[in-house]
This record gives sequence, C-alpha cells and structure tokens, in this order.
Amino acid sequence: MTRLAFRNLFQNKIRLVISVGGVALALLLILSLDAIFAGVEKQITAYINHSGADIFVSQLNVRNMHMASSSLPITTVKEVESVPGVSSVTPILYLANMIVVGEERNLAYIIGLPENASLGGAWDIPVGRGNPGAGEAVIDQSVAEKSGVGVGDNVEILGKKFKLVGLSEGTASLVNSVAFISLADFGSLRGSLDTVSFLLVKIDPGESPVDIAGRIEAQIPQVTVETTANFAGNEKRVVKDMSTDVITIMNSVGFLIGLAVMALTIYTATLARRKEYAVLKALGAKNAHLYQAVMAQAFLSVILGFTTGLIFTLLLSRIIPLLGVNLVLEVSGPSLIKVGSVSLVIASLSALLPIRQIAGLDPAMVFRGI
Amino acid sequence: MFLARRNLLQDKTRLALSVGGVALAVMLILILKGFLTGMNRQITSYIDRSPGSLLVAQKGVSNLLGATSILPTTASAQIELADGVQNVIPILSQFVILDLHGKKQPAYMIGYDPVQGGGPWKIAEGREPTTNTEMIMDSVLANRHNLKIGDAFEILDQDFTIVGLSDGTTSWMTSFFFILKLAAEILLRAPGATSFLLIETKTGASTINIQSRLDELPGINALTKGDVAANDLKLFAKVFSAPLKLMVGIAFLVGTMIVGLVIYTATIERQREYGVIKAIGAANRVLYRVVTTQALVAALAGALSGVMLAYLTAQVIMAVRSQFLIIIEPRDILLAFLAGLGMALVAALFPAHVIAGLAPAEVFRK
Repeated sequence: MTRLAFRNLFQNKIRLVISVGGVALALLLILSLDAIFAGVEKQITAYINHSGADIFVSQLNVRNMHMASSSLPITTVKEVESVPGVSSVTPILYLANMIVVGEERNLAYIIGLPENASLGGAWDIPVGRGNPGAGEAVIDQSVAEKSGVGVGDNVEILGKKFKLVGLSEGTASLVNSVAFISLADFGSLRGSLDTVSFLLVKIDPGESPVDIAGRIEAQIPQVTVETTANFAGNEKRVVKDMSTDVITIMNSVGFLIGLAVMALTIYTATLARRKEYAVLKALGAKNAHLYQAVMAQAFLSVILGFTTGLIFTLLLSRIIPLLGVNLVLEVSGPSLIKVGSVSLVIASLSALLPIRQIAGLDPAMVFRGI
Repeated sequence: MFLARRNLLQDKTRLALSVGGVALAVMLILILKGFLTGMNRQITSYIDRSPGSLLVAQKGVSNLLGATSILPTTASAQIELADGVQNVIPILSQFVILDLHGKKQPAYMIGYDPVQGGGPWKIAEGREPTTNTEMIMDSVLANRHNLKIGDAFEILDQDFTIVGLSDGTTSWMTSFFFILKLAAEILLRAPGATSFLLIETKTGASTINIQSRLDELPGINALTKGDVAANDLKLFAKVFSAPLKLMVGIAFLVGTMIVGLVIYTATIERQREYGVIKAIGAANRVLYRVVTTQALVAALAGALSGVMLAYLTAQVIMAVRSQFLIIIEPRDILLAFLAGLGMALVAALFPAHVIAGLAPAEVFRK
C-alpha cells in the first residue's frame, strides 16, 4: 500500500509540487517566525555573551539590559572589588540613544567604558581600535556603512560630536546596535559622575560564578547579582515573554493553513483515484488497506513539505543578511520538534476526509463505469 | 461562465477547502496588518493624549520611546522665558522591566507632577499618586495579573502601592505606568533629572516659530508632537516591517498555491471536455477565460470569507488578550481583495499551461 501511496503521489508532478509547496509554505510560516524570534534572542544577548564578564551586578531587581535601566552608586565598585574571589570589576554606563549622522538616526545602546577596560568592550573590531578615549566612539560597521561614515569621521551621540576610532562587527540587531564611548564622556553628558549602570565582574580562576555571585549579593545590599549565563537567560526571557502570544496566534494560523492545503491535496488526489480504489475494493482489498495508502500519502506529503519548508527557512536565513537587513533567522531544535509534531497532526487530520470518502465507496461502481 | 461555475460547484468539499484555505491566508494578511495598525496607535497613545503641542528632548534625541533623554538642568527655566510659551510640563521617563508572576513585562514609566500634568488622561478607577510610594497602573496590565487598587507593587528596588488604574495606556509590547516625578528621580538615582518637557503654547502663537526659537537653545531638541509620534512609528516600523513583509509574502504564496491546486485539479479532471470544446472550434482564450473565472471566483470568495474571518478572529483575540489592539482598516480590506485577485491570476497560470498544451484530437483518442 505504501507503494501505491508513493505512485499516487508522484504520478502527477504539478499537483505534487503545488501540494508539497503549499504545506512547505505553511510550515515555513511557523518555522520562520520561530527563527526570527530565536534570532532576535541571539542578537539581543550578543553583548552580554561577549562581554567577557562572569557576573553582572545591577540595581536591585534589574535582571537584564534590554529596555531596562540600572543605577548603582559608584562606591559599589570598591565594595564588589573587596569580595573574596573577585578578580576585577569593570563599571559601565548604559542607556538607549541615537547615533546621528546628518539626517540618519540609528537607535543604539550606548555603553560608557572606562579607559583600557578589560571587559565590556567591542569583541570584533575589523577596522580601527576598540577602546574609545575622550571624545571618541566605536560604532557598528553596518550602522557606519548605512550612515556613510568611517574611522576618522564624526557622529553625534547623546547630543555631542564624537570621532570614530573603530568599527565593530556583531553588534547590530534588528532592533538596534551597540556603540561605545568613554565612561568619563558618558558621565559628564549624563550630568552625574557618582553612579554607574552595571558592574562587569571577572572572578579568580577556579572560582565558581554561582558561588561568587551569592557572596556578592550576601555582602552588598540593594544590588542584584547574576551570573552571565543567567543574565543572558533573563534577556532572552524578555523577548520570549513579549512574543509568546504573537507566536501562538501565528502558529495557529500556520497550522490551519497547512491543514487546509494538506486536506485539499489528499482529498483531490483520492478523488482522482476513486476508480482505482473501487477496483482494489472489488478485488478484495479491505478498507484498512486503503486507509493505510491514504495515510501513507498524507505522511509522505507532509514529510516532503516539512523538509522543503526547512530548506526554505535555512535559505532565507542565508539570503536575508545579504540584503542588508539586520534580521537573523535561527532555526532551533525545539522549533524543529514543534513543527515536526504539527506536521504529523496535519497529516493525520488531513487523511480523515478521504478516509471517509473511501469508506463510503461502492466496489460495484467500477463495473458501472463511474 | 456557466462552465466555470459548474466546474467549481461540481465538488462542494473541494470548493469549501479551497475557499477556506484562501480565507485563512487572507485572514493572516489582515490580522498581521491589523496588529501593526493597532500597535502603531498604541505606541503613540501618550504623545497623542498628553498636553502641549511641542516636546523638548535632549539634543540628538527625536523619539519618546526609543531613546533615553536627559535634559540640561537649565532647560526648563530657559524655555519658560521663551516667547509664546504658555506652560512647561516636565516628565522623567524610562523603560523598566517588571517581573509579573514570573513573566518579564516591559513597561514605560512616566514620572510626572499631577499639578502640572503629563500623567494618565483617563483614570478608570482610583486617583492620582500623592506620595513617592504611590503609582497608577494600566488597567489592562493590572487585570491580566490580578492586581487591584491597594495592592503593593515592587518597581526596581522600591515598594509602591497601586492607587489608580488608567485606561488607554496599554499595548502588547509595553504598558505605561505613572508615578510622581520625584519618585522617578529617586528610583533612577537621578535627582532633579528631566527626560522631556511638554510645551503648551499661548493661543494664537505659531508652534513652528516657537519650535525654531527653542531649538536654538543649547543641548536640546524641540519637536512638534506630530514629529515625535512619526519618529516613534518609524522606529518601530523599522523593527517590524521586515518580519511582517516576510509573513505576508508567505501567506500570499500559500493562498496562490491553494487556488492553483484547486483550479488545476478541476481542469485536469475536465481535460477531455476542454479537448471537446477545442475540437469544436473554441479558441484557447475562451478556455483561459473559463479557468481564470474559476480562479477568480474561488479566490474572491476566499478573500471575502477571509475578511469576515479576520474581523471575527480579531474580536476573539482582543477579548481573550486585551493587550492586543487589532485595527482592520477599509484600505486593508481593499488590499485583501487585491491579494485575492493576485492569487487568482497567478493561480490561473497552472491550468492555462495545461489547456494550452491540449491537443483537440486527444478527446477522440481516449
């Protein structure tokens, strides 16, 4: 019966292309939406993951950077430095602002870095240098290209002109980019030199980030201390919690569309082969055998659709960055499992209509020439 | 026309599946577009409803929601002295991430002075804050998390009590909440700080002239509220337009595939009849018209069902998840029908290809 399903499926190439394409596109809807949000999660945690820090210290109850604000007294730096097991502490200032070049404005997370900071700077500098001094800035290369500026040119950040000394890579996302200026410039522009936003902590070799984080939190009041992994995890959760409802709605629509396409395909394929099924029945084939053929056809189509949808998504993930859009599509394991399960449900449900049709098929019809 | 109708209606289940498939694709396009329109309206709600016609931000900042703005401490006094300025309303604002029942919820905090204004425009329940530990929360957000007036609520490292619930201050991405400006200064450890100034102008004064005068002051950027709203929309459109276009493109292709499949199958089944029609002298264009009519009817019926389905789904989504605002505008419906038309025309290509290659003699050989 699997052979029959195979032949039914491949007998008409155009119908096969349309049906597999339709299912592939419906699954692509689900896969690509998941991939977009997974990509945003990856982009949004790039700074944290590349900061080089083992621990992030922030204002009490501030557990991430994106859309958050943290303010710590500058005295916290010394307090954290004195905690046993802490190797170094790098204070940074941080807020969302614009990189302005003429009429071109790009949203960026501005990081104020101490001179020669060992942590928290740009991690990939293809052009220029990464540590900005007074009056200097490092911005993302794609933003610089879009704004038509390069090393040596001026950009406006926080309302002040800065000279570009370096261009970074991997620091731009769909939402914004990361730019670096000196901590001193940031503090004076903000009008406050006695607070910092976050402390990036490096621990002594052999120490555990979890233990040291606990030690800092126990010794210093009014701060929240997170290991870098947890801090990045919280950042991902912001995106996840914001997008859960949207993803659920879109996934449901994608599922229904996939189901409609699949049901239509299997139904029309069964309808077209009605006479052959009746012949099989007349020759003594049981309904169960014919159901098996229909199910096999549905599963084969869905497997092909799933594979094609996945290939499309992977292709999109390669093509989109080439178009100059800072949109990263990241296909994740859980997403594949989810879409795979959805495909199986689609295949099972779509076989119901033709099964009903076969069940009601009269073997005698073949002799009547219907 | 008669042949097209008979071909289509011959198998009701197939027709229902095809109309349903196109309807789902059209619904997806409309819902996505409706999300974006609703989100745009929610994004600019504070700008649209707050007092004043001008907004003053830190130099280089031209958005309310996108960027953090800290104004020079002298800005307010200088602006108050400017010609044509009636009233200057300071606010201190910042995004914060709230932890609500284990979920991370971005919210936009506005620190304001109830005497001067800049707070919520509609208080559904309760009152405005009077102390540094009181707050007004968005009613939808409060409802979603079972919070009510009198409940304690932690923001960053401070405890607050909810004393009021505001209406029209939510969106699926973020909600607004309001505290006293002084409380915001304490929370952000920024004494005396001001993010934005809302400027009310004297009756009859030219807003544009005042804007250019204020823009000359050091360290500030004066903008009309319309410009700020447009900049916020542009910023969010930049973020959402690429994924949205991708989704709409996929939905369009799915719809086309569905109509294509139906009309193609119907044509294949009627291949012999088309051969007979050709054999008795019908030109290809007559047969093209038949398949195009079938495609048009299926796609437009799908588009019509899709529009109704989209309205229904939007109501259900908004009832179940009140933070979503889905606005389906008349021009979007036109877009849906154009999408249906496009689907039909592209889909008609598959069967047209079959008909073009059909030999009239075929019918006599079978």
